[in-house]
Amino acid sequence: MNKRLTYRFVCVALGLGALLTTSFIYRALLPPSLPEGVAEKLEFFAKHKDEFDTLFLGSSRFYYAISPEGFDQLTRENGVPTRAFNFGIDGMNPPETFYVLEQILKTEPRSLKWIFVEVDNIETKSHLKILGTRRLLYWHDWPRTALTLKKAINPRPSTTWYQRLNRLWTARRELILHLGLFEKQFTNVGRAVDFFSSWNESRSLKWDLLLGPKGDGYRLAGAPMTPERAEHFRRKLAEEVSASGSEFIDPYAESAYRECATRIRRFGAAPIFVVAPGIFQSPLRFRESPPPAPLLVFNDSKTYPQLYDTKVRVDEQHLTNEGAAEFTRLLALEFVRHARQP
Amino acid sequence: MLFVEFRFFWFFLAVFCVYWSLRENRSRKIWLLLCSYVFYAAWNWKFLFLLMGSSALDYFVGRMLARTEDPRARRSWLLLSLGANLGTLAVFKYFNFFVTSAATFLAWLGLPASVHTLNIILPVGISFYTFHSMSYTIDVYRGKMRAISSLLDVAAFIGFFPQMVAGPIVRASTFLPQLRTLRKFSEVDVRGALVLFLTGFIKKACIADSLAPFVDRYFAAPGSFTAGSAWVAITFYSIQVYCDFSGYTDMAIASARLLGYELPVNFNFPFFARSMSDFWHRWHISLSSWLRDYLFIPLGGSRGPRWFVYRNIMITMLLGGLWHGAAWTTVIWGGLLGLALVVQRKWQHWTEHGKQARNWTRWLGWALTMYWFCLALMVFRALNLPDAFVAVRSFALFRSEGAQDLGAWMLWIVVALGIVHWMNFRGTFANWWRRAPDPVFAVAYGCAAATVFLFIPPHYTPFIYFQF
Repeated sequence: MNKRLTYRFVCVALGLGALLTTSFIYRALLPPSLPEGVAEKLEFFAKHKDEFDTLFLGSSRFYYAISPEGFDQLTRENGVPTRAFNFGIDGMNPPETFYVLEQILKTEPRSLKWIFVEVDNIETKSHLKILGTRRLLYWHDWPRTALTLKKAINPRPSTTWYQRLNRLWTARRELILHLGLFEKQFTNVGRAVDFFSSWNESRSLKWDLLLGPKGDGYRLAGAPMTPERAEHFRRKLAEEVSASGSEFIDPYAESAYRECATRIRRFGAAPIFVVAPGIFQSPLRFRESPPPAPLLVFNDSKTYPQLYDTKVRVDEQHLTNEGAAEFTRLLALEFVRHARQP
Repeated sequence: MLFVEFRFFWFFLAVFCVYWSLRENRSRKIWLLLCSYVFYAAWNWKFLFLLMGSSALDYFVGRMLARTEDPRARRSWLLLSLGANLGTLAVFKYFNFFVTSAATFLAWLGLPASVHTLNIILPVGISFYTFHSMSYTIDVYRGKMRAISSLLDVAAFIGFFPQMVAGPIVRASTFLPQLRTLRKFSEVDVRGALVLFLTGFIKKACIADSLAPFVDRYFAAPGSFTAGSAWVAITFYSIQVYCDFSGYTDMAIASARLLGYELPVNFNFPFFARSMSDFWHRWHISLSSWLRDYLFIPLGGSRGPRWFVYRNIMITMLLGGLWHGAAWTTVIWGGLLGLALVVQRKWQHWTEHGKQARNWTRWLGWALTMYWFCLALMVFRALNLPDAFVAVRSFALFRSEGAQDLGAWMLWIVVALGIVHWMNFRGTFANWWRRAPDPVFAVAYGCAAATVFLFIPPHYTPFIYFQF
């Protein structure tokens, strides 16, 4: 009986082993499956990697708000010349940001000196699904999945076992979502489909659209908000300001940002963390001082009222072209000030 | 929870391991019932009470039928069961359809009526488990089987998760005897079940889901496509429906088999059918035989005058169409297929003595059957009646004003799939995988599964038959 049971276990183990090994081999052989928006930018950057020394990595709050051309002009005028590229991608939050950073560094850009990374908390919610399966899938390697799961469960040291159990139950949807995505990613779900469809489509056709008119990754934003929307924005901003207070970044994001800074430094570049001028008015802070990299905080309507004028805003999170020019100017000046420090 | 989801794998692994580690049949059945309810609750726990209610009622009716010999009382109890099951189906599935159809009819007569529809969602699998449930009370009423004394058995039969939400429609007389005996793992054809599961997985996740975007594109606006695209779309849809549903059934049969239970075969190469009646012996066999035994035969079946038989066929097929969905498109679909059966009967009657004629009509029969099936399926898939008309005109008369093209070259995909299907029909793939030793089979299976995953579109399309 025991012998038969052992034999069955061996067979199951062999089957699972073959599944994992084959999946692993396919992963190694097939090119990485990157979604639209990320693939084009990465492909373009890989082709021109040695032309850029400064990189802006973040969400649409970077994508539509930082003009590398304007930034380079200001830094040149102030004696710290740069050649920047905007790697902003719609809806990109940590931990996807960290995954994309790793892909960028894998291209081994030799001239890279400065990397501006947008600071935000880790996003775990299932509403991420609106980005589409392919977009969610590609960054779910184990380090990123583990980070998301930890954030979703958030097991604080002082909690009792039943509180932990309750956390697990509350976070069940996020756990199922991210574990499922990890499994799909590990087992290369749909990779052959991606591979064959990549033969048919030419990414360079999308470059013009995704890389913006100057081909530097910066995409022009939309029109300013309507009077009704502006009124709503002013009300919401007032609420945010009255409720504002200094807020710590979540501990999982903090440790990930520290790791990210170390990684960038090890590569030979300097990290700079930026909080973009969104409507959320509580400046994010790191728990441990000093922060892992210089932190430039712009989500403060009292210090930067010009970024919160309704004429320069598309919505709660995004700036118009005029607003983008102003934000680029402020960012460049802050950068120059920082670069000149001994 | 879908069979093609990873979480089903973990769920089934837990079910399987605990199930076979339990020694007593009763404990196993309790475990199965619990797991079945968890499986159903993963979709919507609130509708679990409906399932439990249906099981409890039919168990009770079964007991009451066993207690009395009085025909009137027995008929009353049966009517209670049928009324409750069909009533639930009517409320959840057909209420809005009937109400809006009546309102449209009254408006057509010039009598506008304001109607209230119910804001309810259709419980998954309701059409299937009510049929499972009714088969039990009808069989007890007819004396084909004895009433079951254990509520656990009845609930486990109706709620058995592999077949609960999309069939096959299992008869109580087939499944309940299996529940009563302790299953032995040594008698389980593990290898056959694993291969069947993977086959079903390939059909659903790789073939059906890959074809779905083309079909959806066409049927979203059939008027804007060329007539050639109508042929591509409908051939793709035929394959999609077949692979989707038979894929689900394969996975359901395989899952049940791994737990020691046999479910009936539901598909038998329907695309090789040479007549419409042959088609219904091969397509969704469990439903067509259910409708035959519980509707067509009680209506009078094939006995009596010819027009009477034709009437029975049409009633059965129209109701069968309605079973597939609360819409006029499905009713017309059923009607078209019923019409084909009537015409076939008439043809058989005319050519009764012309054996020669019947030989040469075999191939013609196949072509006509497939053509008519596709035409009816066009109506079935269309979003509404005007779209159905446009699609059918485009398909049947090659008339379309649309300019968009799905690409006729795609029909080569159909040819390739057809060749594989034909080879399978001829038994090319049968059983060669049984010859390898267990460890070799295990390694090959692991490699095959890893390769299959590569071809799954990352986004799963829900099973088509879940909506029924």
